[in-house]
Amino acid sequence: MKKRGSAYILMTVPALLLFFAFHTFPTLQGIFYSFTNWKGYGDFDFVGLKNYINVFKDDRVVDSYLFTFKFAIISTLLVNLFSMLIALGLNANIRFKNTLRAVYFLPNILSGLIVAFIFNYIFANFLPEMAEKFGINSLATNILGNPDLAWVGIVIVAVWQAVAFNTILYLAGLQTIPSELYEASSLDGAGKWKTFWHVTFPLIAPFFTINMVLAMKGFLMVFDQIVAMTGGGPGQSTESISFLIYKGGFEGGEFAYQSANAVVYFVIIVAISVVQIRFLQRREVDL
Amino acid sequence: MNKKMKVFSGAILASLTAASLAACSGGDSGKTELEFFSTKGENNKTYQKLISEFEKKNPKIDVKLVQPPDAGTVMKTRLTKNDIPDVMAIGGDSLYGELARAGVLKDVKGSDLIKDVQPSYLDMTAKLVGVEKNGVYGVPYAANANAVIYNKDKFKELGVEVPKTWDEFIAIAEEAKAHGETGFYFTLKDAWTGMVSWNSLGAALQGEDFAEKRSKGKASFTKNYDEAADKFQTLLKYGHKDNFGKTYNDGNTAFAQGKSVMYLQGVWAIPEIVKANPDINLGIFPMPVTNNPEENKLVSGVDVMLAIDEESDHQKEAEKFIQFLLEKENVQTYVDEQSAFSAIKDVYQEDPKLEGIKENFEKGTITSFPDHYYPQGMNAANILQEFLIGKKTNKEEFLKKMDKEWDKVEERK
Repeated sequence: MKKRGSAYILMTVPALLLFFAFHTFPTLQGIFYSFTNWKGYGDFDFVGLKNYINVFKDDRVVDSYLFTFKFAIISTLLVNLFSMLIALGLNANIRFKNTLRAVYFLPNILSGLIVAFIFNYIFANFLPEMAEKFGINSLATNILGNPDLAWVGIVIVAVWQAVAFNTILYLAGLQTIPSELYEASSLDGAGKWKTFWHVTFPLIAPFFTINMVLAMKGFLMVFDQIVAMTGGGPGQSTESISFLIYKGGFEGGEFAYQSANAVVYFVIIVAISVVQIRFLQRREVDL
Repeated sequence: MNKKMKVFSGAILASLTAASLAACSGGDSGKTELEFFSTKGENNKTYQKLISEFEKKNPKIDVKLVQPPDAGTVMKTRLTKNDIPDVMAIGGDSLYGELARAGVLKDVKGSDLIKDVQPSYLDMTAKLVGVEKNGVYGVPYAANANAVIYNKDKFKELGVEVPKTWDEFIAIAEEAKAHGETGFYFTLKDAWTGMVSWNSLGAALQGEDFAEKRSKGKASFTKNYDEAADKFQTLLKYGHKDNFGKTYNDGNTAFAQGKSVMYLQGVWAIPEIVKANPDINLGIFPMPVTNNPEENKLVSGVDVMLAIDEESDHQKEAEKFIQFLLEKENVQTYVDEQSAFSAIKDVYQEDPKLEGIKENFEKGTITSFPDHYYPQGMNAANILQEFLIGKKTNKEEFLKKMDKEWDKVEERK
């Protein structure tokens, strides 16, 4: 027994050390700097809670929170809807099942930046040209240049790419459901919709939970797409929180101030994830 | 997504570590490796040419050119890690001021390096550093200018001449519009491109020492920039139909293909335009912002400053390299290939394309970029972009927002 214990420790310690060095330590550093006026270089003094007070007074920060939450909630819902539909389709008895699965997974292995650059081109050139040909005037300009529509462009790209990964998780979930249950429900005369609602969905609920949490957390940290597609613009209409932290912290030379913003944001994300897990786990059932 | 973020930041981390490791290695082969970091990407080929010549003359020194995209930000992330390149070529803007005040750059006051530099550029860059530090932390090398780039053939077709006043300038745009042409090709999806015209307008209209007075509360955007904001809106009337959907690169190509009569950019865009269409017949002139030709000056700034890391282990080699770049023939090569103006005495820009602003340099009717003196964190370009789109803020709200952001950044210091 004792020997076994030391083997487990040997297995965990390296991971723990790496995690501490690359994850926990920088977090602690960030918290430390959020109480200073460090620019990212040079000397600094402690300023107490000044940065935190300023974060709450800064409407640019407030706007970025509003944008990020709007974006994250809508994208999370869309991603889960589409990936569940695709997973159901791919789990059914269809031809070329494996090829199709590979195709639907493809967006996941492409880099977020590259996907965004490709869509950037589509929005800037391809779509306006198409719209002009068909006489749809409202779409004849680049939607990324329109402050009311730019976020839609980002949602499209983010959802398109994220669906791939969540589909795989749902597929894995669907394959854990034993076929006897479906046989039983069809013997009982349940239709497709009833089967889904009373058999399939409760049984993949744990996957639904994890997908909702992962998607939400991922979208709250949206960064790559924004850098590549709008740079936070037009105006400041698509400035997500991570992007603001990066841009203000490095380009604007306000490292300590944005560290305070990051600490606030960290607390919020933890809170949301905990609430989400608690709430969604209640609806899960075990076989 | 989160995984992606990690891969993304991991890649940055890896490349930074690689760069820093590369900077420390070198000694083993008897060669000194000198890292040369440039915040500007357009001049890559010119630097490579000059570097290979330098390496031929100094076989013991190996110069490694680093020109990452978004270099200003990369520079700052590297500062955070105290990993500073031996030699830096940075713009004469607020980044230089920050670095100089942070004590990162070597003071070259009184050294041979600055003896041939035109004094006006030394003054201009000293202002960026401020009064707290009394030194010279970089060698002004090349200057740029904001200008109106125009298509000479189209001017001929329209039967118009280079304008000297604002009214003449707008009349040309009006004439172009009447003939179904685009007056200005705006590229406002890239927020910074709006700052080019903003700087031209502001420099002539904001009044003397705006930044200094603004910090003391004696001037404000609301009071001093009213006319500039109005005039920008006037310019916008002569754009194309997707002013906010096109980028800087789109604009260079579009202007090169003759899609507009004029293009509000800086001289740095000219090599890119010529690359897209070598046959284009273009000229430039300073934007006439007022109706008094005497008041219309050219907005010019230091585009490249050469600076040395205060703590570099290769001080001698670094100085030698800068000394080499400052040799007259090399400065000439640089300004010829980059459509730049020389900050070094007795080297001139002879390109006929740039004829239109040569006089300003000779007579000294030059003024500096207003936004180089704005506080860095205020994000002026995006606030301006928002105003120009005109959906969220009107003129009064926009000017107020500029004032507010300025104050916020100052307060957070």
